[in-house]
Amino acid sequence: MTGSSHNNSLSLGRVDWSMVAIYAALVLTGLLNIYAAVYDPEHSSIFDMDQSYGKQLMWIGISAFLAISVLLIDDKYYHVFAYPLYWLSILFLLGVFVFGKEVNGARAWYEFGSVRVQPTEFVKVTASLALARCMSSYAFNIHSLKSLLNVGLILGIPVAVIILQNDTGSALVYVSFFFMLYREGFNRWLYITVFLLLLLFVLSFLVEPVPLLVILVLICVIGEGLTNGRWKTKIIYLAGVALGALGGYFGTLALGRPMSADVAVIAAVAVSLIFVVTYAYRQRLRNVWFFVLLFFGSLAFTQTIDYVFDNVLQVHQQKRILDLLGLESDLKGWGYNVNQSKIAIGSGGFTGKGFLEGTQTKYNFVPEQSTDFIFCTVGEEWGFVGSTVVVVLFGMLILKLIAMGERQQEAFGRIYCYCAAGIFLFHVAINIGMTIGLMPVIGIPLPFFSYGGSSLIAFTLLLFIAIKLDTSKKDHITRI
Amino acid sequence: MNGRVGILRFVVIALVAVVLGRLFYIQVIDRRYKVFADNNVLRYEVLFPPRGEVYDRNGEFLVQNREANDLITIPIDVKAFDTTQMCEILGVSRELFVREYRKAVQFSRRRPSVIFKQLPKEMKIKLDERHFPGFYTQYRTIRSYPRKVGGNLLGDVGEANERNIERDSYYKSGDYIGTSGVEQAYEKDLRGVKGVKVQMVDVLGIVKGSYGDGVYDTLASPGLGITCTIDAKLQLLAEELLTGKVGSVVMIEPSTGEILVMASSPTYDPDELVGRERGNNYMKLLRNPRRPLYNRAVMSSYPPGSTFKLVNALIGLQEGTLTAQTTYGCAMGYHVGNFKVGCHSHVSPLDLTGAIQTSCNAYFCNVYRNSLDNRKYGGVKSGFDVWRDYVVSLGFGRKLDSDFIGELNGNVPTRDYYDRVYRGSWNSLTTVSLAIGQGEMGATPLQMANFIATIANRGYYYIPHVVKAIQGRDSIEARFYEKHHAKIESQYFEIVADAMYRAVNVSGTGGGARIDGWDVCGKTGTAQNPHGRDHSVFAAFAPYRNPQVAISVYIENGGFGATIAVPIARLLLEQYLTGAVADPALVEHYKNLPIAYPRYDRQFTQQ
Repeated sequence: MTGSSHNNSLSLGRVDWSMVAIYAALVLTGLLNIYAAVYDPEHSSIFDMDQSYGKQLMWIGISAFLAISVLLIDDKYYHVFAYPLYWLSILFLLGVFVFGKEVNGARAWYEFGSVRVQPTEFVKVTASLALARCMSSYAFNIHSLKSLLNVGLILGIPVAVIILQNDTGSALVYVSFFFMLYREGFNRWLYITVFLLLLLFVLSFLVEPVPLLVILVLICVIGEGLTNGRWKTKIIYLAGVALGALGGYFGTLALGRPMSADVAVIAAVAVSLIFVVTYAYRQRLRNVWFFVLLFFGSLAFTQTIDYVFDNVLQVHQQKRILDLLGLESDLKGWGYNVNQSKIAIGSGGFTGKGFLEGTQTKYNFVPEQSTDFIFCTVGEEWGFVGSTVVVVLFGMLILKLIAMGERQQEAFGRIYCYCAAGIFLFHVAINIGMTIGLMPVIGIPLPFFSYGGSSLIAFTLLLFIAIKLDTSKKDHITRI
Repeated sequence: MNGRVGILRFVVIALVAVVLGRLFYIQVIDRRYKVFADNNVLRYEVLFPPRGEVYDRNGEFLVQNREANDLITIPIDVKAFDTTQMCEILGVSRELFVREYRKAVQFSRRRPSVIFKQLPKEMKIKLDERHFPGFYTQYRTIRSYPRKVGGNLLGDVGEANERNIERDSYYKSGDYIGTSGVEQAYEKDLRGVKGVKVQMVDVLGIVKGSYGDGVYDTLASPGLGITCTIDAKLQLLAEELLTGKVGSVVMIEPSTGEILVMASSPTYDPDELVGRERGNNYMKLLRNPRRPLYNRAVMSSYPPGSTFKLVNALIGLQEGTLTAQTTYGCAMGYHVGNFKVGCHSHVSPLDLTGAIQTSCNAYFCNVYRNSLDNRKYGGVKSGFDVWRDYVVSLGFGRKLDSDFIGELNGNVPTRDYYDRVYRGSWNSLTTVSLAIGQGEMGATPLQMANFIATIANRGYYYIPHVVKAIQGRDSIEARFYEKHHAKIESQYFEIVADAMYRAVNVSGTGGGARIDGWDVCGKTGTAQNPHGRDHSVFAAFAPYRNPQVAISVYIENGGFGATIAVPIARLLLEQYLTGAVADPALVEHYKNLPIAYPRYDRQFTQQ
């Protein structure tokens, strides 16, 4: 270890106060919106401890205390205790199987009196620390399979446990670590492939097979062009395929037994492949083979989607996907939440209906409104203006975390900050995205907004550890 | 590595941009969500106004409102209850109750739905006493008919159908609307104006308060009361006298055009078409082969028979082809070559008055042919056009524009019609049955009564109508105050009126209608028809000077005019003119004098 972090006392000047201000703004706006979401004129005091906003206020107090504590602890301890904390949290997570309570079909909570604690929220923090520790060691090499196996273990253990607890939504959050892994140099082709697969998946639902074929041809040709240049041959090739298809179509039409336009296109593409293969062979361009494989791979993938969709996915998952793509809807059944949520947000208009004036919010048309669907209250009562402020604050928070990571001297701090940035990005994008029908419904909280002590405390810890790590770098920087 | 940081920053910014773009779209550009939110939260509770009540000309109730109660259920509030007891109170089978309740559950578990309509008060009291949780009764008004008269005349009220709702956005599913008679014609006055209460509800449908402090709420304003021109007592008598017969009676006050009686037989008890049995009873009436739902007074086009001879007399007199002194012989009928219109035995030759008194067919064949063959018009077809014009001016062959919906035109054949039927070759002899009101001629009982009122007025009529006054208005529609003059001078009506007087009071076919001191003037008719026995017709007015009433009685298959139509008319005139019937036994006699209708009842047995 470099042993670079040795400021034992907190120097306030080094804390990134703008980040703390963003945090405070988000937490207080969140409290206001929880108050509106569960508002009841009979219990209108915000300090009423029987109401969720009263409890949330208590959680905010605890979070503030913990935040200050985090800033006061010497940052080297985060490095030192990364693994013990990780294992402790895994133990805590496993304990749920024995002592936990089942809520909404997921066995993921501890219950102490009226207080519920969800250990999964904390595992995100400890897993980030553990990853930072692991990946910042000298022996670590992002391209070595052995190193990646360690990363896989650190992430795989909590994911497996959480899935066993039937809390798929929380398990999906671990996808967000790929954000950090990309920054650390993980194979970019993995990302490109996943991106393409997602794109193909969506297109296979929205586009007819033959136009999809055309799109695939175009993607492969352009991709090949980007790597090899020689655009003239690409244009000749495309023109040849188009002419072939037209010729096939009109030629057979003239002969009196016309083939369909679809068949003409497929035939033209099939014939053209002969030319592609000869071209690759003669020019000795090996990466052309890659694109030919990509073409066939994509083709095979689109064909298996239907099979997977029909035979592997469960009915409720199929419906969520169809709903998201706007292909099918059942506003009284499984589409109810998202529809009511869109109505709440959409009816807010430009400036919103005003604090405590949202009819969708007040009269409980949106289920789970103080937790997963809290953004509806923002959208309805504060309108486009208010929503924009919240979204931009989150955007700034994430960009600032990236900036913090970049100005770290050590890999440990940088990796941690990127982990935090990825987790925030995933939560914000999925949560807000689902309330406006952009993302599938996954039951994960909106950081600092959704009601719940566990998530508020965990996100506070996640953020303030980053802030704390950020204070240490200035000891011996020579910043340019 | 820097390239990778840039891409990650780009991913963050792109996601923020996409979210903001989507927010801008659903919050600012797409306005539908505002409407959806209002639909979610606003509940429009309709306040139903009581429908206007209907009185007769003397202020007696014809149609009254009665309390009715709908049984409403909110399934989510229902607790286990004694179904047997509930069904007993409602008087329905368990299966029916369960079926209706399931329908309500299917509609919504949280919102109220009506499961049984128009329950009587006793049921409501019992239901309220037992207090079944999740069930309650709601007050609404329905129609009741204290006099039980004028079913077809007053019409009935039903639920608005899809076409009503499509045509007039005032109506919503489940609203009531007048579907026939006065209820339909004066629907806009009778219905009143619905009120609305806008309330905000939560996701459970529980009311949370009024919207905008009630500024969007309106009160219901009750329907307007309507006073009819009908005389309830007289109407009742007319309906009684028509018992067991098929036909119609119309009485008009000539000086105003007000309809005193409009009876159509068979009729029905209008109360049967109200309440829970409405559907069943309606189907029963609809299946009855004598067609009780059919208002014969305005919807039947009958051959007018001999009463139509008066029309030909008036035209002849006006045209100068006939004078009061003209005489024609009659040898048991009118003969031209092999052609013959038969007549009964009477003194011959006769002048006009005598011919009207005895209702001589031959005489009016001559009168009719002379009108058409008038050289002045240079041909029988032009002559026919002139003749037809006169007939139409007397109110035949067209709607009278009364306040009845569904009034028929009747039929006065046209020149085109004969050209078509006879391929252009026809003359006054071909169409001679028009002389005696037979053949293609068709008139509604209302048109006949209106024609008699025109004679009573000596040349003009007011459009017959059933509504005398609408609550809160000074007058009814202007068209009911206009005189409509026939194209015939008053002096000729005098001649005809005089002959009608003689037909009743001196000697003639209408002798049975005589009422001492009231100078009844009338003309009988016996209309041949392809459906069996002749129709019995009588048309009259009284008194001779300053007439107070005109009447037309039409009894299908009643035989000679004198046998049944005349006595019925006489009793009604007596009741109206003297205020009572001197010999109630006569009423009983004619009431219990049924006529056989094989043509209706045969269909019945076939069914």
